[in-house]
Amino acid sequence: MDKKTILIVDDIEINRAVLAEIFKDEYNISEACDGSEAIAAINSGADISAVLLDLIMPNINGLGVLKNMNESGKIKSIPVFLITAADSREMLLEGYNLGAVDIITKPFIAHFLKHRIRNVIELYSYQNELESIVLEQVARLDCMNRSVVEMLATIIEFRDCESGEHVKRICGLTKILLQQVSDMYPEYHLPQREIDKIVTSSVLHDVGKISIPDNILNKPAKLTAEEFEIMKGHTLKGCEILRKIPDIMDAGTYNYSYDICRHHHERWDGRGYPDGLSGDEISIWSQVVSVVDVYDALISERVYKKAFSQDIAVQMIFNGECGAFNPKVLKAFEAAFDKISDNIKNKQ
Amino acid sequence: MKGAVSMELLDELRNIGVDVDEGIERLMGNTSLYERMLFKFADMMKNISVSPDFDDSNYSEITEAAHAVKGSAGNLSITPIYEAYTEIVSLLRAGRTEQAKEIIKGIQPVQADIIACIERYM
Repeated sequence: MDKKTILIVDDIEINRAVLAEIFKDEYNISEACDGSEAIAAINSGADISAVLLDLIMPNINGLGVLKNMNESGKIKSIPVFLITAADSREMLLEGYNLGAVDIITKPFIAHFLKHRIRNVIELYSYQNELESIVLEQVARLDCMNRSVVEMLATIIEFRDCESGEHVKRICGLTKILLQQVSDMYPEYHLPQREIDKIVTSSVLHDVGKISIPDNILNKPAKLTAEEFEIMKGHTLKGCEILRKIPDIMDAGTYNYSYDICRHHHERWDGRGYPDGLSGDEISIWSQVVSVVDVYDALISERVYKKAFSQDIAVQMIFNGECGAFNPKVLKAFEAAFDKISDNIKNKQ
Repeated sequence: MKGAVSMELLDELRNIGVDVDEGIERLMGNTSLYERMLFKFADMMKNISVSPDFDDSNYSEITEAAHAVKGSAGNLSITPIYEAYTEIVSLLRAGRTEQAKEIIKGIQPVQADIIACIERYM
């Protein structure tokens, strides 16, 4: 295995030489004779496993180096030992507060020092390794989630031959509109990671259509009242399907998918289905997907209707011809209209 | 005296109170490095001035210099200098300049002897 590197920072050459001698057999030694050289070395991208840092130095002192490591976040992954003659207690305390792991008092006691530093370096390298494994696994999980969800959506597209591209457009538009809602209305608390999950989940909003008979799903005319009732059942059928396969997604994605699947036909005034929820009883993500879903249906050609232009579709939504929506969501839609329009054009 | 380490130097330093063996042990038994570091120390002391006639109202530079001497002397186990400068630094940090000056005056001849001894072998 390659030797790890220790950075020794001290303005006095003798002190650097003593430390270098203690550690040179076990580690590669890099030296800096003041704070600025240390900061340059730490930020150079070199793989440094520990910093032995003198506190009292000209120009930028040890605390300055620690502050810089806090700003760059390096303090979390590189252990810093303060070198001190134990005559500067306040500085030591500030050093600890800035994230230093331990203190090396001068004069050094070589054997103790070797053990202490080796132990901490091993601990940090183990922790850094675990962190990178976790990050990798989270990324893989996200990727698997998306694949599973996309696979399900593809199956629905095969059934519902008119809405091949519909699902992809819903994803794109949901992302734009949610981001706009989040920017304009911070009270909805939509951090980026949640927005990403909601966008993935929006793909499954129509999963229940797989249970709707062909003669209704693809009927080239207006549905009868009875047929419409069956069609409306796709929301609850979708939930039934998702309930049978909860483990194929992480809990967050599952909850969003379930909620959107059930509530993307609810309306702000309570006149939607299946539960007749109103106002903010309907989650903001389901509200967003329902506007986007209606908009996409309007601008798309269907077996029973021609496509409306984007301008007319907007007018119809704002006139309330497609049911009532949250005024905040409509304002966000208006504000993001250029982006929405571009997104549609680019996909055509 | 390049090359082989002078045992005479080490013996002489022992006689004037330097804990040579502890210093060498700190350098993982590397005697020749210890000797080189002693030479560095003598060089460093030429450029550092900690004299008792410093200005009582502005002695932060003197404190820093004394701190540097203390650290290096400690690491090389030059015990008389290390102990005196430990006291000097703590007196200066406490603002007790008159007492610090007394200690500086007291250590100067000892310090001169030690450095002269090292310089004879450089």
